[in-house]
Amino acid sequence: MAELQAKHGITAMAGSASPLTTHVLNTATGVPGANMTLSLHRQDPLTSAWSLITTGITNADGRCPGLITTQMFTSGVYRLHFDTAQYWQSMEETCFYPYVEIVFTINDPGKKHHVPLLLSRFSYSTYRGS
Amino acid sequence: MMESCTLTTHVMNSVDGVPAARVALSLHRLEPPLMVWSLLSLGTTDEDGRCSGLAAREELGPGTYKLRFETGSYWESRGQTSLHPYVEVVFSISDHHQRIHLPLLMTRFSYSIYTGS
Repeated sequence: MAELQAKHGITAMAGSASPLTTHVLNTATGVPGANMTLSLHRQDPLTSAWSLITTGITNADGRCPGLITTQMFTSGVYRLHFDTAQYWQSMEETCFYPYVEIVFTINDPGKKHHVPLLLSRFSYSTYRGS
Repeated sequence: MMESCTLTTHVMNSVDGVPAARVALSLHRLEPPLMVWSLLSLGTTDEDGRCSGLAAREELGPGTYKLRFETGSYWESRGQTSLHPYVEVVFSISDHHQRIHLPLLMTRFSYSIYTGS
């Protein structure tokens, strides 16, 4: 099952809580960043190649449950890709950043990791949340 | 004649409240039609955390660009770990851009990017 998910980049689904979560916030308007498509990737430590783990879309609260299972969440380098320009475009606005990719290292997969994205048309920030 | 855009950056270490000096960085452009990244220039921040001349020998016309900061190496050189092995910022330059200033504020566990003047 874990291999299938890795091979086919299964769409994020609700289920038992993902150890990795995100939260998109639109800091320009002070609302959650809803309906933003995103994807999670992991880097192969030997080849440095990226493979797709999950694709998803943020809900009305700017969150995307079911990013990864506990089994699949091993130590390594991950990348969260957010389709930011598309998001702003759907509101008929431009964005300076066509997409945002946040690359982070997980050394302690037993702990929950929260990777928020605070975004406006001209700025963004991320931090290790809880 | 098309005016090219100048690009500057400024990296700040928000933990220690100092400029982040000697951070290696690179500027890339997405080249159609294959949509591959080509390396335009390399740079390192000075003692004030600034790096100018990134576009000195290049025409920064409209297009999609990527600025990559070797932030992991910076923290490592200070004997510290960090959450993000590097920071890559992908941005669009359009016809009306003349000057782009892209500061990066960072700690070991966070960073923020904005475009300012």
